[in-house]
Amino acid sequence: MDYRLFDRVRRNVTPIELDTIESYAQGRIARREFLRRGSMIGLSLPVMAAVIAACGSDNNGSSGGTAAPGGTAAPGGTTASGGTTAPGGTAAAGNIKQGGTLRIVAQKPAGPLDPVAMADLGTYMPVTTCFDYLVDALGGDVRPMLAEKWAPNADGSVWTFNLRQGVKWHDGTPFTSADVVATMDRLAGSNLKASIAAGATKALDDFTVEITLLHPDGQFPQQVGAYNPQSVITPKDFALGTTLDQRKTGTGAFKLTKYDAATGATFEANPDWWGGKPFLDKLEYTFSDDLATMVSGLQGGAADAITQYSVVGGDAILNDPNLVTEIIRGAAHRQIWMNCREGDFTDKRVRQAVAYGLDRQALLDTILKGKGDIANDHPIAPIFPFFDASQPQRKRDVDKAKQLLSDAGKAGLAATMYFPKLQEIPQLAQIVQSQLKDIGMNVTIQQEAVVDGEEWCKVYDSTKEPAGCDGGKDFGIVDYGLRGVPDVYLVKAYATGEWNSAHYISEPFRAAVKAYQSSLDLDGQKAAIKTIQQIANEDVPYAIPYFYNILFAHTKKVTGIVATGLGHFYCGKAGFTE
Amino acid sequence: MGRYVLRRVASAVVTLWVLATIVFVMVNVLPGNVGRRVLGPFALEDDVVRFNHQIGTDRALISQYLTSIKRVFTLDFGNSYQSGEPVKDIIVPALFRSAKLAVLAFVITIPISIAAGIFAARRQDKVADRAVVNTGLATSSIPDFVTAAVLMSVFCVHWKLGHVFADPPPGTSVIGQLPYLLTPAMALVIAYFGYIARMSRAGVIDGLQSDYARTATMKGLSKGQVMRKHILRNSLAPTITVISVQVGYLFGGIIGVEKVFNYHGLGSTIFNAVTSHDIPVLQGAVLLVGIVYMLSTLVADIIIAFLNPRVRLEASR
Repeated sequence: MDYRLFDRVRRNVTPIELDTIESYAQGRIARREFLRRGSMIGLSLPVMAAVIAACGSDNNGSSGGTAAPGGTAAPGGTTASGGTTAPGGTAAAGNIKQGGTLRIVAQKPAGPLDPVAMADLGTYMPVTTCFDYLVDALGGDVRPMLAEKWAPNADGSVWTFNLRQGVKWHDGTPFTSADVVATMDRLAGSNLKASIAAGATKALDDFTVEITLLHPDGQFPQQVGAYNPQSVITPKDFALGTTLDQRKTGTGAFKLTKYDAATGATFEANPDWWGGKPFLDKLEYTFSDDLATMVSGLQGGAADAITQYSVVGGDAILNDPNLVTEIIRGAAHRQIWMNCREGDFTDKRVRQAVAYGLDRQALLDTILKGKGDIANDHPIAPIFPFFDASQPQRKRDVDKAKQLLSDAGKAGLAATMYFPKLQEIPQLAQIVQSQLKDIGMNVTIQQEAVVDGEEWCKVYDSTKEPAGCDGGKDFGIVDYGLRGVPDVYLVKAYATGEWNSAHYISEPFRAAVKAYQSSLDLDGQKAAIKTIQQIANEDVPYAIPYFYNILFAHTKKVTGIVATGLGHFYCGKAGFTE
Repeated sequence: MGRYVLRRVASAVVTLWVLATIVFVMVNVLPGNVGRRVLGPFALEDDVVRFNHQIGTDRALISQYLTSIKRVFTLDFGNSYQSGEPVKDIIVPALFRSAKLAVLAFVITIPISIAAGIFAARRQDKVADRAVVNTGLATSSIPDFVTAAVLMSVFCVHWKLGHVFADPPPGTSVIGQLPYLLTPAMALVIAYFGYIARMSRAGVIDGLQSDYARTATMKGLSKGQVMRKHILRNSLAPTITVISVQVGYLFGGIIGVEKVFNYHGLGSTIFNAVTSHDIPVLQGAVLLVGIVYMLSTLVADIIIAFLNPRVRLEASR
């Protein structure tokens, strides 16, 4: 340890930054986690490099912590790692030739290309191909995109972003702080309403904005990066409801040239992109809502890459030696929700019985072919640095489950479980039905017509908090994509009414979430998360059997695609190697 | 003949009205809130209410019905709820895509299957006849989407002889589009070959055993002349009727084949409109299919009347 260098660095940082530096120096977080957290709070690369140099080999990254969200997992079969290169950074691999058209088969957009209202991967793809975020939070590290630097105040309640200069919209007009202010004000009424209010974002000058949060948040940059796709920065005159195909613009690497909601979209490279001229000349998206068709397209040579696919139905890709599957390990999961407010699941013993009835390893092996992590009925995945690994893992216990049902007076309970037709969820529903039969439950399963329309998310009782979105049902499965931090799961699914399908109310849980969010140091977060894990595991508003890996694939000659944990691609540095 | 055509057109207008009414009833029994479905789960309730008001789904049913009937007869279906595009910009390209596939499939199927039917009829109960009948029975009993999936796997994915996606890139020439459409067209050819071949075989067998064929033969006409001038004219009427019905199906009913080849014809347009609650597109596309059905049966009737003097005579009365 070079104490002189270390002390010099320590003297010039804020308390939040100091906590991160100390955590690394004391070996409580690994080097990767240090970089992730440091970049999140705006520590400059020279400062982080100085800290790492000062700590020397005493801390080589092997201690503490775990892989960051979006990091890569050991691939199965003929897979390779991916998904961690910055969209505006350097290319993922050398020998990329200039030119070519990358053909991607992608999910069909479920709605208009409205950056604020979009809610599905099919829509994220074209929208985020044209628009950029303030920061790139793809691989766990937070890196510059439209913001070059950012920093919080002492308690993390005010964040200042220094914007990149010289960026132009596709129509040639300059990008300025007015665009960011307008975007944030739009989001204050929708996607970021839990974090900011309208008027909370101020332009200090043409290229500096200051965002005052409703409450301190040491991880706020995650809210304005790819894990929150609706936070793409749009022009100041982009009204609510304006769609990309109506107004073809953006600051991104590609310009939309043609869009047909039924068939696909084409984009041409933006030679003036702030990240440098893209390798590719064009991007072509072919839309499909059928995985078999998408798989055939990739295998049959009609596409060069496929967006997020599931093991179920996509195993032909995994077994194809000519294709490369990239895996992003993370916190994406399925929640088996049970209505805590009314119906047969109000007694927590019934919900616990369901949780004890699940054979998680069998689900993981059968449905995901092992490509995921076993979960413990809370949304904190092992990849998070504050994950409490000391909590005992809930295992299948049929006798205990039967006893719990009997104690609750619900032996032989009959229930209907609703689920969307999305990736492996129908198979999950079938196997859960079968497993719960062993504990004496008679589960009928019913597939919903749409993935995430009103059938799931209808606010059927908005006067009673939390209103939740369960379409008036008691029991079902819902999907949650990968996020860089678990705040969305904790706040929207558990602590507030917005996506609270289970109608779960727990003041201790809400207090723990608040404590977690206001903690600016790792120790504070760990303590709060430990409580969160315990309460969620005990109350089981949602049985969570596994965290699944995000898979996407491409041919061997393609390189440089950066995928987010939500599945959408960045192709600014993608290209062909031959 | 002119009066006959006019009568058919008038009847088509009534059929259109009935069809429009059925579509209206059907879309109004679909469960759910259109605004919520279109704007998504995260839209504010006020926005949903405003959207429903804007598109008129909060109006009285009778008012909505009159609007929908007006749309049918003005052929102005408004804008798609889903994409905001004019409906005609969605359904007309889909119609052309369906037409391309249907025409190619029929150009291959009709001559092959009619020829096979005649061939089999002239060799009734012989090995060749049984081969045609049994092959036709086997191929037509396999659902078209299954055939499509098999052809896709073998020819497009494994041997890479065809295109996995049947939609050719924009700007592809007519000839250049053929390779893209050939494999899905072959799936339809296989599905319809047996059906049309058996119909034409049965008609020709009837014709061969008829009094007029015997009279023509006794008059000294050659076998070929009897077949061309007498038997085919009479016996092809049921086959033409069958083909005309299949035209409508090919435009709107081959969702499975379209899905397998990621082809965006009217079938998948209708399917998507149903799942996304896009009522204007659904109305427009279904009515378009209805118009295709009516036109194809009208054309079939005219062809039959042209081929068969008795039909012409009845029509003129």
